[in-house]
Amino acid sequence: MKRYFPNSTVKIDNEEKMAGKAIFTDDILCQDALYVVFVRSTISKGKILRIEVPALPDGYHYIDAKDIVKENVVSIIFSDWPVFADGVVNYYGETIGLIAGPDKQTVLDLVRKVVITYQEETPNFELKESVFHKHFAKGDIAKAKQEADFSYTETFRTSLQEHLYLETQAMLMWLDGDKVTVKASMQCPYYVKKAIVRTLGCDPDNVRVIQPAVGGAFGGKEHYPSLLSAQLATALVKIKKPLRFVFDRTEDIAFTTKRHPSQTTYTAYVKNNKITGIEAHVKLDGGAYIGCSGVVLARALIAVVDCYTIPSLEVNGDVYLTNTVPTAAFRGFGSPQTIFAFEMFINHLAKAAKADPLEFRFTHLAKKGDITAVSGNFHDEIIMPQLIEKAMEMSDYKRKIKEYNKPNSNKGIGMSWFLHGCGFTGSGESTIINAHVKLVKEADDTVHLYTSQVDFGQGNRTTLKKIVSDTLGYPEHLVFHESPDTDHTLNTGPTAASRTIIIVGYLCEKAAKHLKEQWVSGKRIEIIEPYVAPPYIHWDEETMQGDAYPGYAWGVNIIEVSYDPLTYQVHVDGVWSTYDVGHAIDERIVVGQSDGGIAQGIGYGMLECMDIKDGKFYQKTISDYTVPTSMDLPYMETVLIDNHFAYGASGAKGAGELTFVGVAPALCLAIEQAIKRKINKIPANPEYIMELVENGKD
Amino acid sequence: MVNKYLPKNLKEALQTLSEHDCYIMAGGTDLMVVKHRSSGLLPTFDKDVIYIMGLEELNFIKKVGENIVIGATTNYSDILKSPIVPQLLKDIVIEIASPSLRNMATLVGNIGNASPAGDALVGLYLYDTLIELTSVRGKRVMPISEFIYGVRRIRREKDELITSVIIPQQHFTNTKWKKVGSRKAETISKITFAGSCTIDQGIIKDIRLVFGSVGITVVRRPELEARYIGLTVEQLQSKTDEILLEYGKFILPISDQRSTKDYRFKVAMNIARDFLSHIE
Amino acid sequence: MAKIKFVVNNQPYEVDVDPSARLLDVLRDELHLIGVKEGCGEGSCGACTVLVNGVSYSSCLTPIANIIGKEILTIDGFNKTEQYRIIADAFAELGGSQCGFCTPGMIMSTYALFLENPDPTEEEARLSLSGNLCRCTGYNSIIKAVLEAAKEGRKRGIKW
Repeated sequence: MKRYFPNSTVKIDNEEKMAGKAIFTDDILCQDALYVVFVRSTISKGKILRIEVPALPDGYHYIDAKDIVKENVVSIIFSDWPVFADGVVNYYGETIGLIAGPDKQTVLDLVRKVVITYQEETPNFELKESVFHKHFAKGDIAKAKQEADFSYTETFRTSLQEHLYLETQAMLMWLDGDKVTVKASMQCPYYVKKAIVRTLGCDPDNVRVIQPAVGGAFGGKEHYPSLLSAQLATALVKIKKPLRFVFDRTEDIAFTTKRHPSQTTYTAYVKNNKITGIEAHVKLDGGAYIGCSGVVLARALIAVVDCYTIPSLEVNGDVYLTNTVPTAAFRGFGSPQTIFAFEMFINHLAKAAKADPLEFRFTHLAKKGDITAVSGNFHDEIIMPQLIEKAMEMSDYKRKIKEYNKPNSNKGIGMSWFLHGCGFTGSGESTIINAHVKLVKEADDTVHLYTSQVDFGQGNRTTLKKIVSDTLGYPEHLVFHESPDTDHTLNTGPTAASRTIIIVGYLCEKAAKHLKEQWVSGKRIEIIEPYVAPPYIHWDEETMQGDAYPGYAWGVNIIEVSYDPLTYQVHVDGVWSTYDVGHAIDERIVVGQSDGGIAQGIGYGMLECMDIKDGKFYQKTISDYTVPTSMDLPYMETVLIDNHFAYGASGAKGAGELTFVGVAPALCLAIEQAIKRKINKIPANPEYIMELVENGKD
Repeated sequence: MVNKYLPKNLKEALQTLSEHDCYIMAGGTDLMVVKHRSSGLLPTFDKDVIYIMGLEELNFIKKVGENIVIGATTNYSDILKSPIVPQLLKDIVIEIASPSLRNMATLVGNIGNASPAGDALVGLYLYDTLIELTSVRGKRVMPISEFIYGVRRIRREKDELITSVIIPQQHFTNTKWKKVGSRKAETISKITFAGSCTIDQGIIKDIRLVFGSVGITVVRRPELEARYIGLTVEQLQSKTDEILLEYGKFILPISDQRSTKDYRFKVAMNIARDFLSHIE
Repeated sequence: MAKIKFVVNNQPYEVDVDPSARLLDVLRDELHLIGVKEGCGEGSCGACTVLVNGVSYSSCLTPIANIIGKEILTIDGFNKTEQYRIIADAFAELGGSQCGFCTPGMIMSTYALFLENPDPTEEEARLSLSGNLCRCTGYNSIIKAVLEAAKEGRKRGIKW
């Protein structure tokens, strides 16, 4: 068979996954596990007056807030999310309790018989009162305003998005002696451990979290399993029998966290055809609890003017609470919202200024040495002009954009430029995470890498191992990368924020270098490699000023569409992308991230619709919530251009989120050309396009 | 206590139906969803169930005189492979559900569940399809437009089984099928349209417009169609606005989690207009 | 309850189950064939795809009554064959499996395609896999893998 990726490594979990042998949580045999079903609120807001539990047969248990051992709170950055609702509910579906028992049918029947009497209150579904506010400024916005030739204001909206990982939330928990032991579909074993320790107030050594195969996550299993594990742990210490559940798809869609909907308003001040200042206000809907919304807001604000350098900025951001399922992490974590908004804005602004959008954007494109939006520095080489040129060449952009401008053309082509900060914001890697990689050479000269990074499709079990074997110059089959198990692996941090390769990968490289130096055959050698922040990172969390991230990855997406004026539907005809991820440890894996990010981005941009109706998600089933199928996408072409990052393994940066964040604006810019109308919100579904075409002006 | 019947042949099946009021399970692609409780559990039925996919004698596609007759246990994939099934019906079937569901699901099953979003129904209405019902008491036949009278409402007596559909063979000059869903595959229709026209020396001999997912049943108005017979193509096309206005009165879509009534209405009109403009 | 006879992965079975039991549950819970996955329970994701008498079925919607006397092939049985090897090698080379949850279903649908059409076009491959959802790969690598496997199969003169 032809080698399409001659430098890529066979993924270590490929065979077991393809053969159907990989063990996902629901595949684990546990004969005496009790089945758990959650008792949920049926109102959006109110007080719980009374809970009447039916008579429980022997072996069936009801657990709720009164069974909490130490703290009724889940550790999700801002700790306002209760493990079990206690006297008060804030969203339809909020977990009030659970019933566990040997027969699932019986458990479901019992849950249906639980009667809860509420004192209903009026729920809020508007972005009314800010619960979390951030502000920063740059340069002199007042001067920019004063001296402007003109100003231009627009507002953009983005919607909820559901992760729709193919494997639903699932968990199995049992007592091993005294030790609370968990296997679950999750991204962050140490987050789960922390959540259990906090709610039980127990010794961390009494909790063990083990990673099975995980069927997709995208951020949906970054925080939510912490809630589930705290709930199960509370039940486990009471019932003292193994407990398990697997969410049905409808339950997963209805009650798990989603992407933050957003509303962003920009006002640009333009002088001599250059943007001299931008005022921005970003609003995020946090759902019922703040959780990680503050950090999502931070990332959205840091990306507020995307990959452009604007001399003066006045940026405000707010998180609002509504009585709906709390929103949380999803690939991009705030930046897709503002990158969509700003890419559309700068293109609309260019047209309002009667300038060529491409030239206009080029004038403002960030260069090495520029001051970032948060007054840090772009320390490294920025190769965007190369990425842009290559993408335009691959897609024949210049010819098509002229061609599709003709009045009777129903086609469009759009190009987005974007960046993604890799790693935790600012000093988070030092102060919050403080990763430690463990690398052990056993006496038999096999090498074992231990990280807490979870491979849920992105291939990091393979790439991190590859970094070690390449650095050591050692055969791949003698290097092992164990799946995370908190009894054996140290905490290398969550699998999130595009940090796995840039941060943990770099630690793996360093550890391997140290091992190589100390190598003695036949002797056991253990290397613990701690995280050390690059010396140039200075970040003030309070004022949001400084170097937000250790490094940035950059990208260009070009998307071509056809539009059907009879049905207002859009079909994607072509996608071309170029990325600077520093260096691809494994090209096949990075291209895979590109393909998947594009598909998910096209969903975000036009196919996936999730609305709130009466405090519940209106789209309830996998048939209602339409993610792309194989017939909705064309072939995607991706080219990677190296740009060695000094603090990355073999120069590598991150790719997991970069490949998602620019898709929606590229798609919408293409649709705009095809329909000859301005788009201000996503998903740009046919119903919205019809409104624009039938009611809007050209 | 719910009983589950596995008849070995049609005679046994009819006997069972004459004695028990049953859900009729064919491929399962509807009932197994509607009655699904949770993973690992049996679907919950509140009355007896009879499984008919084992009735091979109802698995056929054949020509009987001027008619194409399709048996109750014929699946969609076999319909796609048949050389005698009209192309318009195949164009409809290939867009239903997914390849594996087309291997399992039956045309007759879709008639039995009479969903307002049933794509196949639109084609069957256009073809003036007849439904054959059989019981221990004998057989009877009625037009599909009479058989389905509401959302999931059919004129089947408790002891009857839909044993086949009878599709009169017809030759049209122009046909059109359009399904509008949320994505290109595996999608429930927002709105569907099937149209046909028979022209002889520039004169309209027969014209049919059928709309799906825009009402509680499929919309076809033979009394409107009758008005256009005898017109020239040009005359018909000059009346397009008037025709659409007339049809508009019967197109009553709803807004739901998939789409809005305004979108469904407008797109239905756009597609019908496009159909009329391309008649030649 | 009824005694239902069928063959799975060349092994004959007789189970005493309710005729409306989902084939998926019988395969996973009774026969411990964990390669067949549940992604949605409503026939819309394809993770539960198996072959029944050589054609693809969504096992989550198949009542056991409908497979009496039939031959079922799941990934757990298919993975021992040369035909599987060709498809799996193509998937591995092109990167067609990321999280792996949709993969068994994808591979079974690919095999079902080849049984009917060993030389598919890109369009035919996309149509045949249109009932298998993947959230990780965007289908790019999967479609390329399918066409590569078909090419390899022709080269080797394999009888699918």
